[in-house]
Amino acid sequence: MDLSVLEVLEREKVLEVLQRDKILRSLEEERIRKMKLELQEIRRKGAKSFSRQYSERTCARCQRPLGKFWNCGAVCHGCSHRICNKCRINVTAQEWKCTVCHAYREVKIKSGEWFLEERAKKFSADADRHETTGEKLLKSYQRLSTISIVPPTPPPFTEGPSSGRSGGLHSSRPFTKSMENLFVSLTTHIKKISKSQDDVTADPGLLTADYGGIPSKERRSQSDTAINRPFSMTKAPSLPDLFKRAKSDNEEVQRMAEFCTDEDISPGADYHQEKRGSISSVCTELGIFDHNSSVTGEIELALVYNSTASCLEITVNGCKNLAYGDEKRKKCHPYVKIYLLPDKSPHRKLKTTVKKNTTDPVFNETLRYNIELPLLASRTLQASVWHSATLRKKVFLGEVLIPLHEWKFKDNSTQSPTWYLLCPKPGITEGYPGEQYNGTLLIKAKFTPPSQLSTVANPQREEVCMGQLSILVTGVTNLTVSKYSGTLNSFVKGCLSLPGGRELTQRTLPQRRKSNSQWNHQLVFSEVPEANLPGCCLDLELWDHASFSLAHRSLGGAKLEGASSWQQLLQTPNTWYDFTLPMQASASMKKT
Amino acid sequence: MFCAVSTMTDGDYDYLIKLLALGDSGVGKTTFLYRYTDNKFNPKFITTVGIDFREKRVVYTATNSNGTTGKTFKVHLQLWDTAGQERFRSLTTAFFRDAMGFLLMFDLTSQQSFLNVRNWMSQLQANAYCENPDIVLVGNKADLADQREVQEKQAKELADKYGIPYFETSAATGSEVDKAVITLLDLVMKRMEQCVDKPAQEAPNGEGTSKLEAAPPNEKKCAC
Repeated sequence: MDLSVLEVLEREKVLEVLQRDKILRSLEEERIRKMKLELQEIRRKGAKSFSRQYSERTCARCQRPLGKFWNCGAVCHGCSHRICNKCRINVTAQEWKCTVCHAYREVKIKSGEWFLEERAKKFSADADRHETTGEKLLKSYQRLSTISIVPPTPPPFTEGPSSGRSGGLHSSRPFTKSMENLFVSLTTHIKKISKSQDDVTADPGLLTADYGGIPSKERRSQSDTAINRPFSMTKAPSLPDLFKRAKSDNEEVQRMAEFCTDEDISPGADYHQEKRGSISSVCTELGIFDHNSSVTGEIELALVYNSTASCLEITVNGCKNLAYGDEKRKKCHPYVKIYLLPDKSPHRKLKTTVKKNTTDPVFNETLRYNIELPLLASRTLQASVWHSATLRKKVFLGEVLIPLHEWKFKDNSTQSPTWYLLCPKPGITEGYPGEQYNGTLLIKAKFTPPSQLSTVANPQREEVCMGQLSILVTGVTNLTVSKYSGTLNSFVKGCLSLPGGRELTQRTLPQRRKSNSQWNHQLVFSEVPEANLPGCCLDLELWDHASFSLAHRSLGGAKLEGASSWQQLLQTPNTWYDFTLPMQASASMKKT
Repeated sequence: MFCAVSTMTDGDYDYLIKLLALGDSGVGKTTFLYRYTDNKFNPKFITTVGIDFREKRVVYTATNSNGTTGKTFKVHLQLWDTAGQERFRSLTTAFFRDAMGFLLMFDLTSQQSFLNVRNWMSQLQANAYCENPDIVLVGNKADLADQREVQEKQAKELADKYGIPYFETSAATGSEVDKAVITLLDLVMKRMEQCVDKPAQEAPNGEGTSKLEAAPPNEKKCAC
């Protein structure tokens, strides 16, 4: 049998195996996703009670009272809460965990998270912690296949009669050749992610030698990589080189990070920076961010209510085993953002600093949220982890939601740091009250057609019949987001998209009014071709201008489109028409 | 302790455990796995191309430390089969990193395949997810008693040296096949618990010295 033909078959055999593996993998991913959602639910149900008196000792999970001498409960080693007999699950004969800690432990085992963690210790700076070799190969094949598979060219029929065998061989050559190349690239790719036996036998000396003088864990792991993966770099760089490289990376990232985080809290920064920051932040809130393929890892938080300062102190100790924010470059610059839902106004947002190049960041930062204790009962603490890389795109790395309505702030046992498993964003359907920007925008619109004089009947030229579209935003009803401040300093951004891609944008000046009073935001779009108006789309976005922090918050957006609406304006020009437009969270956020 | 379950295509299982068989070409990895998953024997030698895998669902009953049986779990086993041939080496070793436990196989009728166990061990140490993964040493083709080249004592000594269990199996008769896989699965299941329950400040592995120190005396399995 021809060897090259065999290799084509081999490659196909391997790919078929990888495809089967892919099916199993997706089944597994779905299972893990469900499991993590269930865990979130268990955690929500078993939250500490806030409503009860401190003097009354209760079990942290079922809230049943605990006695002084019998059934007095015991402290769970996982969460340090006092737990009654019934809410304990035995892990071993001697050891037990509370229901929540046990569920958490189960997920870690059943999802295979334990394996990824163990492996990350050995191959820490290695490729994506989740991606299996099979997945990687399949991807690299798919990438290759779009480039290099060319359909076999039929042989020219000019040659004289030749033996069937050689003719067949000739005809298949271009095909098998490209397949062969494919296999070669496939195997070289494999080499990059593995090592041959020779490397192993050559390595032991190195393995023992270089550990001694290297202090930090991160650096150690880098040296691990250099030793363990000689193929990943054609020339293995020396250790100092590696440090230098890591350092310059860090510096670059730091500059970027400083520029684009700390957004709306620092009052002294210049306006452009603030504006950019606030928009990127609003974007993350409205769902305009990169979704990471998978959410992993945990976050350690401690909640303490400081009654002298009337503030909730949230200590973010750190995270571990985060997914990479930048999967391609294997980078992660995480920071933590905290809201007390449903309030998502930017000035109530808290953020940690950005840690560079780590999936196990240590923050040890205490963030303070000024709020009266009784108000906390209606809040849910949302701690989300983000990857900060470029100026605009934040990558979501996971979040944890802690309902505070049952939290016992006075109980010392609730104040110790606790690890929480990070979860994916809940589906769009299950939003939180304050996240829905409902409400209705009341507007008037009129179209002023071009005067007879300016309508030069010239079919050769395109810019004929330019009219003027006026929009008057008169008010808004049922704006839930405004309930925290009755007075809004609102302004409106409008973007008129014309057929053919042209966009006209307008913005009004802020007006300080009661949210339920009459507004008068006028937007005038001139040079609107009359004939094109029915195909236009008007996006209106309502903003609350924050005068001190310069961080505006979006109150929602609305759309005016559809030929019928515009036809009314065209039929009776120069007349105001009323429209009520339902508002949405981000009808179409334009990053202007 | 284990029994097979039928349906395979749904996500109704508690654990996905990935095991991998490795060893020289022709020691019987594929037939071994075929015997385990389908309880059949195919005497024909068809060399494995690169990699392959088989699946099986089993019910695992946890044993408590006092010896009583505990909860039962559904386990979906993904059993990776690798080509023993040298030319596939770079491909197969790349798959080592995704497996949670290993069936290191040799042929009881081939001294050379036994001598190569040492090489496979170093391959594992380098490529597996940790320095001391769970491994079971399997001497296959035990039914071919007249052709035997490797003595049980010899193999047992090597296994003890590595601190791993040893089984003499026969894919042809099915003898000890289930037991070898089950033992490995049991080790992996215990490892999972240990990994999750151990204190977080434990020194990270990587030095590869912990294996023998950590293992309690009189216990053959490799502890982490």
